[in-house]
Amino acid sequence: MTDMVVTGNPLRDPKKIARKYFAVALFAVLVIYIADTIIIEGTDWERMGSLEEVVKTMLFFLPDFSFFPQTVVPLLETVLIAFWGTALAVVFSMPIAYLAARNITPLPWLTYPLGRCMIVLSRSTHEIIFALIYISALGLGPLPGILALASRSLGFMAKTTSEAIENVKKGPIEAMEAVGANRTTIFFFGVMPQIFPIFVGNAIFQLDINIRRASILGLVGGGGIGLMFAEVMQNLQYDRAGMIVVGITAMVVFGEFVSNRVRQRLV
Amino acid sequence: MTAITDQAFLSYRDDERRAGIIKFVVTLLFIGFGFWSVEFLNIPIERLLGMFGRLGYMISENLFPPEMSYVMEQRVLDSIIETIQMSILGATIGTLITLPLAWFAAWNVTPSRAFLYPLARGIIVITRGMPTLMWAMVLVAIFGFGPFAGMLALVKETIGFAGKLMAESVESIDMKRVEAIRATGANDFDILFFAVIPQVWANWIGIIIYNWDAQLRNSTILGFVGAGGMGLYLREQISILEYHTAMAIIVVIIGLVVLSETVSHYLRRRLY
Repeated sequence: MTDMVVTGNPLRDPKKIARKYFAVALFAVLVIYIADTIIIEGTDWERMGSLEEVVKTMLFFLPDFSFFPQTVVPLLETVLIAFWGTALAVVFSMPIAYLAARNITPLPWLTYPLGRCMIVLSRSTHEIIFALIYISALGLGPLPGILALASRSLGFMAKTTSEAIENVKKGPIEAMEAVGANRTTIFFFGVMPQIFPIFVGNAIFQLDINIRRASILGLVGGGGIGLMFAEVMQNLQYDRAGMIVVGITAMVVFGEFVSNRVRQRLV
Repeated sequence: MTAITDQAFLSYRDDERRAGIIKFVVTLLFIGFGFWSVEFLNIPIERLLGMFGRLGYMISENLFPPEMSYVMEQRVLDSIIETIQMSILGATIGTLITLPLAWFAAWNVTPSRAFLYPLARGIIVITRGMPTLMWAMVLVAIFGFGPFAGMLALVKETIGFAGKLMAESVESIDMKRVEAIRATGANDFDILFFAVIPQVWANWIGIIIYNWDAQLRNSTILGFVGAGGMGLYLREQISILEYHTAMAIIVVIIGLVVLSETVSHYLRRRLY
């Protein structure tokens, strides 16, 4: 028994503590070095001028509320772009989720990695990049914006759906197999009812995020409120730009509030 | 006996019929909404049909193969390093601001429900609502071109993103420990350090690392509006229609994102 006596608290192993402090110190040095290069060397403080001038520029952005009526139509356009982008993503995420769910994928060695690869590509590419590719193929307008949002949401939808499919209860599926149902029937009547609430919740969540994403697509020519924002910024109408920022923020916050409420109801 | 079954059947048939009508009306409304939005957004449907040919041509001829030698140029390499630096600095400063905000914005342990809670919640909600790229444009107009404006945009993004997650993790702690410490006469700071932080620390570290990963993703794009980083060269190359070099930058961006995801996944696994 005596040889089982614990000598010292393993959480207070001096070597581990030393390593932890070393890592923290290393990180601190790195941050200070970066702060030096970005804030001190990388910034043109001369051009920015004094603090007073900075505050004066900031005050240009005080929103001009009389501009509000003109922002209503672009805001509505933004919401519609977000809606159709999400709708397309919902439709096209189903087959990808089917490929990327380990338990139902038809050819595990081929289709599973394929589905996963598509998910990673969609999730790791910014919507602006998708928008640029679609715009160069389709021209300006809301259509490339919708497609860009759809491509961006696709990955998240397919990922969460395929994870939900992987976690379905086995009982109903085995029962259907026992009475001789084929794969398609099992998918539609055994798997779908189980994942449906999760799926709808995620779709609403994506709609809410897509409203935020849609608002910047216009900066590269993807339609919506971003186009107007880019325009007023170019014309140096900063008070109007301030109004647009306020409008978008209000819309996004409202959308998030509604989506949270609806999702709480669903669960 | 038969009357009861008849009645049941009739009410069942009525329900079915009603459900059918509702489904029909909803479908009709949806189709109407679809047509209306196509009209409203001026979407050229005929262009959609010819899209795949053009998209295929675009990808096979213009985008591939990416001209990777462009990325090896010194100025582009510098901008890639600047992107990473911006993300680290922005995430760090943002996290330092977020730590107290997350404490204030958690309803169960906030030091002042009347004043600090709504203030912190308001800051988090508003910073979440503003799109980063627009915020970056505003900051560029105020502070001039360069990574400083981009870094501030990332700070704003961190407050909204990490602030919400951190406050939520504080709100889900076990309140018994808080009560036990409060019973000994502890003040708000004691509660924070001895009841809240020990419970959420592991979670917070995970959020901080995840947030850095998200900020690196954002920082690759900020250059688009002149807020520092490699996005500037992406915009430049696309505006002069040099798609091969633009694609090289996109490949680097995707590589960076996948790399940061791997690093953040590895760090979170090790720390838990």
